[in-house]
Amino acid sequence: MKKIISLILCLVLVCAISGCGEAKPVLKVYNAGEYIDTSLLSAFEKENGCKVVYETFDSNESMYTKVMSGEQYDIIIPSDYMIERLLKEGYLQEIDKAKLTNYDGIIPTLLSQPFDEENKYTVPYFWGSVGILYDKTVVDEEDLEAGWELLRSPKYKDDIYMYDSERDSFMIALKALGYSLNTADRDELDAAYDWLVKQRDAVNPIYVGDEVIDSMVSGNKSIAIVYSGDAAYIMSENENLRYFEPDEGTNAWIDAMVLTKDCQNTELAHKFIDFMISPQNAMKNSETVGYTSSVMSVFEELKETVYSGNSAYNPRQNGENDEFFRYQDTETKKYCAELWTKVKAQ
Amino acid sequence: MKYFKKLVRPYIAWSAVVIIIPLIMMLLYAFTNSGNSLLNIQFTFENFKRFAEPVYLNVFLKSLKLGLLTVAICLVLGYALAYIIAQFKESTQNVLILLVTVPMWINMLLRTYAWISILSDNGLLNALLSKLGLEPVSMMYTDFAVMIGQVCDFLPFMIIPIHTSLSKMDKSFIEASYDLGANPVQTFFKVVFKLSIPGVLNGVIMVFLLSISTFVIPKLLGGGQYVLMGNLIESQFVSVGDWNFGSAISIILAVIILFAIRWMKKVDAADN
Amino acid sequence: MKRLAKISMGVYVALCFAFFYLPIFITMIFSFNSSKSLTKFTGFSFKWYQELIENQEIMSAVWVSVSIAILATAISTVLGTITAIGLTRHRKLVKEWILNVNNIPIMNPEIVTAIGLMLLFTAMKIDKGYVTMLLAHISFCTPYVITSVYPKVRSLDNNIANAAMDLGATPWQALRKVIIPMIKPGIYAGVLLAFTMSFDDFVISYFVSGNGVMNISMIVYNMTKRTNPTINALSTIVILVIFIAVAVVNIIPILKRKKVTVNEKNN
Repeated sequence: MKKIISLILCLVLVCAISGCGEAKPVLKVYNAGEYIDTSLLSAFEKENGCKVVYETFDSNESMYTKVMSGEQYDIIIPSDYMIERLLKEGYLQEIDKAKLTNYDGIIPTLLSQPFDEENKYTVPYFWGSVGILYDKTVVDEEDLEAGWELLRSPKYKDDIYMYDSERDSFMIALKALGYSLNTADRDELDAAYDWLVKQRDAVNPIYVGDEVIDSMVSGNKSIAIVYSGDAAYIMSENENLRYFEPDEGTNAWIDAMVLTKDCQNTELAHKFIDFMISPQNAMKNSETVGYTSSVMSVFEELKETVYSGNSAYNPRQNGENDEFFRYQDTETKKYCAELWTKVKAQ
Repeated sequence: MKYFKKLVRPYIAWSAVVIIIPLIMMLLYAFTNSGNSLLNIQFTFENFKRFAEPVYLNVFLKSLKLGLLTVAICLVLGYALAYIIAQFKESTQNVLILLVTVPMWINMLLRTYAWISILSDNGLLNALLSKLGLEPVSMMYTDFAVMIGQVCDFLPFMIIPIHTSLSKMDKSFIEASYDLGANPVQTFFKVVFKLSIPGVLNGVIMVFLLSISTFVIPKLLGGGQYVLMGNLIESQFVSVGDWNFGSAISIILAVIILFAIRWMKKVDAADN
Repeated sequence: MKRLAKISMGVYVALCFAFFYLPIFITMIFSFNSSKSLTKFTGFSFKWYQELIENQEIMSAVWVSVSIAILATAISTVLGTITAIGLTRHRKLVKEWILNVNNIPIMNPEIVTAIGLMLLFTAMKIDKGYVTMLLAHISFCTPYVITSVYPKVRSLDNNIANAAMDLGATPWQALRKVIIPMIKPGIYAGVLLAFTMSFDDFVISYFVSGNGVMNISMIVYNMTKRTNPTINALSTIVILVIFIAVAVVNIIPILKRKKVTVNEKNN
């Protein structure tokens, strides 16, 4: 028995040490989890004779924590407000669009957004909005006229999932009150806090994370706050559900590819970016992941074919009250986090 | 007596690097404010003062309550199981203890997702109830659901140490107790339980330490309303980015736990 | 009366194991689901097993998880056991200090340990990846070993080892032949706990790893957006392998014994 154990240990040790050693060029990509068709990675590796080291993160914030600690990547795919932050803190370098043969295919309305007005640093990847997913067999159509106020209607007590993130929840309250979702005004934030507390007392919502996706597929509750890309997937699994973006405005978002300062092999990195937005690859990617593609031809086609009738694949573009999240200063962030803890725990 | 004294040295060196140095960094964060550079450190108690707000005290009490309840339930259920397992012959015991541990090798998140699909409103248990012609019961997002998940996850940490101290117990003590006229109940409490106290204490401390800082299971089975010390600290570090406050909370937590352990050990010493 | 007690004990054990294995059982069932859902069974299929085999990322994560768990368990068991043995020979003050320090990794929320180690490795300029993950796992597994072994050593009579040495055993022999066999249950418990903690860890691994080195938990956590039954398929295989191994290890001696008795009868 002892011999067997020591043999296993030696084997493991030897394999662990000898596991490395290739001389191919390497590209390090850092993306959100389950946010790519992984077969594209191996296709890219084959096409360019390189190795893609692919890592995933579970939130923009944990990605930032790792990047800040000195971990180096070539390409990262974060969300708009986080790009703004990375840019501000000098983590990014410019993308040379002359090297991107497919850049013209990007949906024009996604370009020149506040986080990168001159389109120097970003190439859009997926985009969408935040909205209300509801069960049409339970929720009356006319109740939707209330907009975000629907989430406070006592009629749907114990039947609502909220998203457990201070930024998204305050977004809803601020929009319902007619304020900007990027406000740093303490009175407006306090008003939003009151809105959320009253909601909590009125309908007893459950604050959830990504498990909402599975819960809505099995129809455990009839109303939930979700991202449009997740909604598109959930609706394809549960046909009673509909997606709705209130007129008061919502959070529109874009996730985009950026090139870091640390990137040495920029040639290869540009190739990767170009690869991901080629119509054929973008089609595959969007079909697998279920989020809305940033490539015009792909978006137009999938909207009519795979996702026809699925309004969540076609989020509102340039809605007059819709806004992107902007970089939030630390003081405001702390203040919101404290209020949010109070909403949930008091 | 002296021969093995030196054996502690490697661990002292090791823990100085991987435990003490990070601890010192945390202390530095806890007593400073953001935006400090190493050159002009200004110490402050502000981060600790913030914790005195009722909302945070609430969070702390909730964690404490949940931790103690988990410990209590695990102790009762776990002791019984460890005791029964200890009655088998030795090779069977080892297998049974291994089988208690194996479920823990399946990812905790997956196990918790499985509980969700069992307990949710349209879940498996309710489907079973409706087949039996019974009314469905809403179990998700209740204290009950959280307790099920917590106990299922932490019970092995109670069973293993208790079993360790029961397994090699000298059977002659028990026989002696019977010979002296004690009944089985007396024998159990005065002899068996007393001899197993080191294991019990170990299990209690381990489950308590783990359950007071956990939050994933309560969050998934109880909903985001379950704000506990663990998620408070995690959100300070990751989503808010306020490492100073996060460090302060975790140091408060650590100090309180150290005192709790001291107190428990005193109880143990008094018992012997 | 005795039979009743025996039956109720058996029922209790069965109920406890049912409780432990219910979620595992559900996980296994959903690995055969034809859709992605983990809550609704839509039909039987093997497609997640096929995806599992084709998924390079998961297969290499399996290797990382298993090898790190084995190495970390082995190293921390040795380190923890000798520390526990050495500890009993020290004065109360030293003992208490070390045990308190030892409790820190167990009681700190994982995120605190994780950030602490991340900063440490960055400051020491160690390239993040397999090695940093292994070091981190050793650092949080060792406390569990010490906690399990120490009470056993404490209840040991010091005189036994001393007697062995008086009779001419070297300290090393006394350690190996006398002390270790007597604290075996504690070491076994330590091994099980260390392996479990290492195999199931996410937060610490996530922050100390880098360069594409990922373990199974990291993959599962980053999948939360679209958890899919590929991971369930993996869990099913893990459980089956363990059960077969346990069965084989336990059945072989029984078969051997039977063979021997049969042979004896024939003779």
